[in-house]
Formats: sequence, C-alpha cells, structure tokens
Amino acid sequence: MKRTIVMFVISALVVASLVLWAIKGHIAGNIQEMIMVGTSLVIVGFAVYLGILRLRSHRLQEPAEDELSKKVMMRASSLAYYISIYLWLFVMYISDKTTLEVHSLVGAGILGMAVVFLLCWIGVKVVGTKNV
Amino acid sequence: MSNRIKELRAKEDLSQLELARLVGVRRETIVFLEKGKYNPSLRLAHDIAKHFRLPIEEVFLFDDEAAPKPSE
Repeated sequence: MKRTIVMFVISALVVASLVLWAIKGHIAGNIQEMIMVGTSLVIVGFAVYLGILRLRSHRLQEPAEDELSKKVMMRASSLAYYISIYLWLFVMYISDKTTLEVHSLVGAGILGMAVVFLLCWIGVKVVGTKNV
Repeated sequence: MSNRIKELRAKEDLSQLELARLVGVRRETIVFLEKGKYNPSLRLAHDIAKHFRLPIEEVFLFDDEAAPKPSE
C-alpha cells in the first residue's frame, strides 16, 4: 500500500510541476514543448493506471505483486534497457544535426526511455512471458 | 507446455479469483496460465497441483516433442 501511495504522490508532484511551469509562462507553446508535456502526461497516466491496478488488487484482497507481475516488470525493463541503448545512439547521431539545445535533447532522451518502457510493458502484457 | 487448470477449476466450480486466493497469486496470473501465456514457477505449479490433489505432471502437460532432450 505504501508503494501505491508513493506512486500517486509522485504522479501528483509531476502534474503540479507541469501546471506551475505552464502558469509561470515557461511553456512557449511550440510543438516541441507540447510533445514533451504530452509525453509526460502519458507517463503520469501510466503510473496512475498502475496505482489503480494495485488499489484494485488490494480491494480484492490479492497481493499487489506476485511472480507474474514481477516477471512482466523484469522482462519489460530488460527489453526497454536494450532498446534505450539504440535510442541514445540515435540521440547522439541527431545531436549535431539539429538546433535543439543539449538539455532539451537529454530531456527528450529520458522521456523517450520512459515511453520505450511503457511500450515494452504493454507488449509483454499482451504477448505474455512464456519461457520455452 | 499446456495445462488443465481451466478444466480442473470447472470441475470444482471454482472461480479464477478463488483459485488465485488459494494459491496466493493475482487473478491475472491464473488468466495468463489458462491462456498459456505464462509458465509458472515450480512453487506455483506445486501449489496449484496440491490444491487439485494431483501430481504436477497431471496438471501441467509437457509436449514431448518440444521438451528438451537430455544431453548425451
């Protein structure tokens, strides 16, 4: 239950930071920032979804984590790590071909890693983790 | 590897959630097992077989052709 609360608190903090960022006028409204904000919201949505799943398990008196959920997380993490290496290679490749600043590229890379993990998690959930 | 969990569960008129609670996993794990999308740990296979009062090999069925052959 503690981990579920931590997930909701972190999600709320991220949303609050985005709102404050927007209120303070740091969002110029260009397409690049919109993609970053949108991606952040998708990742927060994913965290909230996981939190809701954990709450539902708690309500059904199931364990919040079991061997399948741990294995899905492990398989998704390892796959995401592997793909992220190529993502960073791509970021390095485009770094001198774009006008983006270094901190924007690093931010995009980190958000990209989170999106890759999200996609891997969905993929592993759909395909399963059958080890033949 | 296939299994007879769905069939055995139906015989005992047991829901996925009830079986999940009995063996200490989430309902989703039973769903994945029944769909053949997950191979359980030895511990979980043992617990499920024990619940149905059957040996593991009667609950979890190995395809002989797919099973790895012992090294010579």
